[in-house]
Amino acid sequence: MCVHVQKAAGLMSKGSRVADIAVSSGGMGQAGLATSRASVVRRFRRGDSLFRVVTLSAALSVLIILCGVLISLVFGAWPALRQFGLGFFIHTTWNPARDDFGALAAIYGTLVTSVLAMLLAVPVSFGIAVFLTELCPWWMRRPIGIAIELLAGIPSIIYGIWGLFVFLPFVQSVLQPWLIDFFAPIPVLNILFAGPPYGIGVLSAAFILAIMVVPFITAVTRDVFETVPSVLKEAAYGIGATRFEVVRRVVIPYTRTGLVGGVMLGLGRALGETMAVTFVIGNAHTISSSLLAPGTTISAVIANEFSEATDPMYVSSLIALGLILFLITFIVLAISRLLLMRIENAEAK
Amino acid sequence: MTVEPALAQKVTIRDLKFFYGDTQALKSISLPLYEHKVTAFIGPSGCGKSTLLRVLNRMYDLYPRQRAEGQVLLDGNDILAPNTDINLLRSRIGMVFQKPTPFPMSIYDNIAFGIKLYERLPKAELDQRVEAALRGAALWDEVKDKLQASGLSLSGGQQQRLCIARTVAIQPEVILLDEPASALDPISTAKIEELIDELSARYTIAIVTHNMQQAARVSDYTAFMYLGSLIEFDETSKLFTTPHEKQTQDYITGRFG
Repeated sequence: MCVHVQKAAGLMSKGSRVADIAVSSGGMGQAGLATSRASVVRRFRRGDSLFRVVTLSAALSVLIILCGVLISLVFGAWPALRQFGLGFFIHTTWNPARDDFGALAAIYGTLVTSVLAMLLAVPVSFGIAVFLTELCPWWMRRPIGIAIELLAGIPSIIYGIWGLFVFLPFVQSVLQPWLIDFFAPIPVLNILFAGPPYGIGVLSAAFILAIMVVPFITAVTRDVFETVPSVLKEAAYGIGATRFEVVRRVVIPYTRTGLVGGVMLGLGRALGETMAVTFVIGNAHTISSSLLAPGTTISAVIANEFSEATDPMYVSSLIALGLILFLITFIVLAISRLLLMRIENAEAK
Repeated sequence: MTVEPALAQKVTIRDLKFFYGDTQALKSISLPLYEHKVTAFIGPSGCGKSTLLRVLNRMYDLYPRQRAEGQVLLDGNDILAPNTDINLLRSRIGMVFQKPTPFPMSIYDNIAFGIKLYERLPKAELDQRVEAALRGAALWDEVKDKLQASGLSLSGGQQQRLCIARTVAIQPEVILLDEPASALDPISTAKIEELIDELSARYTIAIVTHNMQQAARVSDYTAFMYLGSLIEFDETSKLFTTPHEKQTQDYITGRFG
């Protein structure tokens, strides 16, 4: 068995040489054997090149799809971009009746809800992951791990309905009044938490987003935490470090790159999330200084308005919004790559 | 087992049994670790040497279904007692592992990390302590110009000495070495062995090794273990020249193991 495998491997690596010998050697029986071997080798080579073509085309299809999406976005957005120019990015007006469109409110809403969601979700996710990998009693690890994976599998529309009918009444009657009262005497912060408690609003959307991305960040974080060699942790425990110190000084530095990746995965999902946000954000094309006020996001605008956009300029403006979301996601990805490169460079020194 | 009565017992192991789940890995081990002496643990793989070390600083606490019975006295106090402060214990009993385990931080921080856990020192004093530890581990001259470089950038032998420096820096009383030189080249090994000799002036040392010459070279006492039992414990010079047990003799002459 083992010998056969070795022979086959030898055949493949020495394929061309075997073929040469087959041609040059003149012995009767030897020649027959060598020819059949050469044909086997040729067959191997055919299979291998077919394999190469298949995988290559699979890889290329990614690039082709990406380019296709980008081209059709630019093509569709072109009328709006030509009409409004750079003003499209800095105007908050969104008036389908007068064909006057500006994307700033949606861009602002997208960025603010995502960043807030990350601020809420990252500490919680890291906490869960640390608990699961370092502190949790062993019998509890699997149930909690499975629960997190199930949470990640809930469709976003369900988060939206739950947010609208269960979470928002709570936010409106309890959380927002409390936030308004609590921050009222504090300068600056009282601007962020001002206004009547609508329930719907940017902060509510950020909360729902946070709940939705927690399982993703947690799952990645837990997996990278588990890659820390146990001897390394033992070494830290061995000099008397507490669990917190081991996590802060050994586990997190060791897994930094993976953690950035997990956070970026969550951020990417938060930026593009549509249904749940549409339900709870209020869909108002305004930029308010208060986080409690209604707002909108790029994907919410597109989902809400595409079906009623009849005017070509309206449609083009929505596609332009899509292009902007594409670019934002791209920039976030680029920044995270840059961040990782800088971390690696700093370590190499 | 004739032992000079004048020697102080830093650690006393009494009737120690250890279990991985249902598997018993140590069968009623009793022996002393004498203060400022080097005690070597030899025996074939799986005989329980490393397990014994892991009991001494209660590293097994990190894992489920591992438990120890019996007594391990450090200066007369049972460290297996449930009310033992584990972090304090591990600061008193340092450990160096088989594979070098530098933390993912700079050389300086690798040493300073342990010190900062217990003491809040002014920068200058911390610098001194780091230097002293690195000198103590015979590493200072090699790294003094690149203290801010990552600990992972050092060679294997240097990393291991860094780990020893890290252990020494927090001024423990006992140092446990779990095959500290088995992953190193002969020159690094020689350096580590010299280091052990120097360290024994100030610390009580327990070393697990597969290398019998190493045990003979560095230790004052040797314990031979087999299948979870302590077969023989004696002064190294006696154990290697006139072993009492046939199993010991067979092992050190290379007839099994």
